[in-house]
Amino acid sequence: MHDWGFVIAGYAVTAATLLTYRWRLAVRARRAHRLVSALTGRPPLGEHRR
Amino acid sequence: MKLSNRVLTRVGTRGAQRALGWATLASLAVTVVMGLLVVPPDATQGDVQRLMYVHVPAAWLAFMSFGTVFVASIAYLRTGRIQWDRIAVASAEIGVQFCALTLVLGSLWGQPVWGTWWTWDPRLTTTAVLLLIYVGYLALRRVADSPTRRARWSAVIGIVGFLDVPIVHMSVVWWRSLHQEATVLRPGAPTIAGSMLATLLLAVLAFSLAYAYLMVVRLRVGRAEDRAAGTVLSTPTPRAQTPARVSAVTVTRSSRHA
Repeated sequence: MHDWGFVIAGYAVTAATLLTYRWRLAVRARRAHRLVSALTGRPPLGEHRR
Repeated sequence: MKLSNRVLTRVGTRGAQRALGWATLASLAVTVVMGLLVVPPDATQGDVQRLMYVHVPAAWLAFMSFGTVFVASIAYLRTGRIQWDRIAVASAEIGVQFCALTLVLGSLWGQPVWGTWWTWDPRLTTTAVLLLIYVGYLALRRVADSPTRRARWSAVIGIVGFLDVPIVHMSVVWWRSLHQEATVLRPGAPTIAGSMLATLLLAVLAFSLAYAYLMVVRLRVGRAEDRAAGTVLSTPTPRAQTPARVSAVTVTRSSRHA
């Protein structure tokens, strides 16, 4: 049971690393698109394609 | 169009990115089920050995990322094309995440097996040095002022820094180490049970897919950020945009004061 604590913690840290990095990339992309849209007046890339 | 450009264009489409994302998620889910529920525990270490199915692939991913940085850095210095620099920095960023994860997972494994969270063992120390090299690589990119100088400096570090990767791999052979020797990438047959080896290879495949997926997304973000930076630089300031209006306002204000 003691060992399982370390195992679960390891798998949870791995999942958290992957998800956090993916989320940070999404935030950075959104920020970059918003900046371009604010400066050029064009709608952000995602909205333009819809 | 060159083959590398064609592959990058094809993989970079939103549909391909989504398909890669789902494939990554599915393979990671199967790995978790196999690693936690299906494969038997280790005869000597017990259940804690299940950490191998995330610790080893994370280390593999870090090595693969830094290998990509190495190749892309050489390509940048040879061709001077900025695409190679974008690939190198994207891979370095992902490599740093997974090198840090490798150390954390190793620490979690080390505590119940070795009785300590950290020891200055050759494998652990060389891995920590590897992490510091690539953290320095990313830090340097924030310091350099021109994009060309930034790309050239970081390419040199990307090439020199990779020399630590074979040292990390061979550290358990060259020096007396607490860390176990290689069980798969070694001369002769792997010293691991069949079901464990299959799960480990599946985990390596799943992490490699995760790397490919994150690279595609990170390259897309890199292009968006470069475009934003270019737009900021090319957008005229309000003063430059309306010089007549600005000077008229200034004249009116100064005449009021007078």
